[in-house]
Amino acid sequence: MTPDIAQTSHMVMGWHFWFATILFLGAYALIVSEKIHKTIVAICGAAVMIAIGIVSQEEAFHSLDLGVDWNVVFLLISMMVMINIMKPTGVFEYIAIRSAKAAKGEPFRIMAIFSLVTAFLSAFLDNVTTVLLIAPVTLLICQALELDVVPYLITEALASNIGGTATLIGDPPNIMIASKAHLDFMAFIYNLTPVIILVLIAYIISIKLIFGRHLFVREELKQRVMAMNEKDAIKDSVLLKKSLIVLTITIVGFVLHGMLHLHPATVALFGAGLLLLVSGIKDPHHVLAEVEWATIFFFIGLFIIIGGVVKVGLISWMSGEVLKITQGSLFGTSMVVMWFSAFASAFIDNIPYVATMNPLIIDMARQIWPGLTGTQLLHHPDLMPIWWSLALGACLGGNGTAIGASANVIIVGMSEKMGSPISFKKFMLYGMPLMIESVLICTLYVWLRYYILHI
Amino acid sequence: MKTKDLMKPIIKCLSPDSTIKEAVNFLKINGDEKRQGSEVLPVVDQAGAIIGILSMHDILKAIHPFYLSMTETNLGNFTWDGMAESLARQAGNKTISVFMTRDVATVREKDSLMDCVNLMIKKNVHQLPVLDDRGRVSGMIYEKDIFYAITEVMLDKEKADKE
Repeated sequence: MTPDIAQTSHMVMGWHFWFATILFLGAYALIVSEKIHKTIVAICGAAVMIAIGIVSQEEAFHSLDLGVDWNVVFLLISMMVMINIMKPTGVFEYIAIRSAKAAKGEPFRIMAIFSLVTAFLSAFLDNVTTVLLIAPVTLLICQALELDVVPYLITEALASNIGGTATLIGDPPNIMIASKAHLDFMAFIYNLTPVIILVLIAYIISIKLIFGRHLFVREELKQRVMAMNEKDAIKDSVLLKKSLIVLTITIVGFVLHGMLHLHPATVALFGAGLLLLVSGIKDPHHVLAEVEWATIFFFIGLFIIIGGVVKVGLISWMSGEVLKITQGSLFGTSMVVMWFSAFASAFIDNIPYVATMNPLIIDMARQIWPGLTGTQLLHHPDLMPIWWSLALGACLGGNGTAIGASANVIIVGMSEKMGSPISFKKFMLYGMPLMIESVLICTLYVWLRYYILHI
Repeated sequence: MKTKDLMKPIIKCLSPDSTIKEAVNFLKINGDEKRQGSEVLPVVDQAGAIIGILSMHDILKAIHPFYLSMTETNLGNFTWDGMAESLARQAGNKTISVFMTRDVATVREKDSLMDCVNLMIKKNVHQLPVLDDRGRVSGMIYEKDIFYAITEVMLDKEKADKE
């Protein structure tokens, strides 16, 4: 199939175009510079976009193409509410201590099991929360065994980003892609989970080679870990049981949401509502206040800014340029998307990146298949690998540097507090090769599965 | 009675770059065996201005791992025999700037005892660094010295009443 590149766009580059473009670039530059908090930049940028009339308020608040993606917003809020209720039960500490005991205090076994547990939890919870809950236990176990905390913290952060890639709800880029491309939970399970399992296997082998030989623990120290009673971590077993039941119902809801014709946000909202109801919390103020509102408003602002540049035709011009680079080869496009996304996400926030790429890919699809609309367009068999490449590149790319993903930032902070700072260079020394390894595996997977075997 | 009359002289001022090990050596010398507890040392910058104090409590902070008391997790139950000792062995070379108490309230030599009592109650502290006319630390006034001073007055009065 040869796309008609000549037809790319007929837009008029008036002052609207230039104003929106400058606002967009200026906002992104400010976000990268970290001079002003990213949420404040996003809110101000969005307000200016509307005030100047590039998008109307109607479009910003209610349009599916140009406005706030409420599906993403409500999914995030609902999951945060559920986690906020579960956090104080102590279940995460319980799981971590149980894992260390299952590893019998063997240092590499602990590293591998902690990585796998972190990856698994990250697939269903957000990565920052997972790391924030597992890392303190890791510090405790490392001190009990008199081990250097740095390798353990780094491997956990990387594992959390890998695990988060596996499902629709694991990482914000996937939530955003799912919403824009109308992909359901099971589509992510079919397409991303298999390759993430491969990536994890390679990851465990790699960390064994990197760290395995240097880890040693004296026998008597292992007793300290074996003597810990993980049940002591559980603070509220009744709430824990209720939470686990509601979480299970919610995950079953996610699995079935495509069949039930419910959006993922509806399922999550139902879960959050149900857990609030059964948890016995009298005043929800506290649980709701703990929602990361800065993140939520960052999304809201970004969606409106992106809406502006979509409307004036910047994104459409960019997608035309991408097609020129790849000369209409869809395999080429998916590879460029995957690798470019990986390196872009290693250095910049993957949320604004994916927010920009989503409409770009949709626009590109419109240029290639001008006659198609709706899911016929979004789920075109030749477009699907590009969505998966975007998800894999943007999520896994975060492992490249200490600032690539929020989980990395958290562990760097914790390590510094423990008196073992991890420099940017040191993180990159481990993160970058492991990131490249994971993206190479994904490259092979996408190529084999979608371009050779067509399954 | 003025602050000056009750304050204890400063044996040593610490710099924020001092190590915990150096600091505890001076704290131990400074500690008065009979009146145990809250002995502290002032921490001054290069110009000699006070920037904080280092107390025995701050030394405990230096060996306390932050993860035990994080609000997100409940790990307080998972300690082992020998944990404090092994962390104490590792803590010696850390610098005190991270653990010292900053933003301390101070009194002047000529301030009255009531000024000290008032500040101690208001700020909930057990000692105050005392500054001389040039604003430099000249001593330290402790809660227990004030306690001894005021109880003496109290008991003297009782004795006088009895007689």
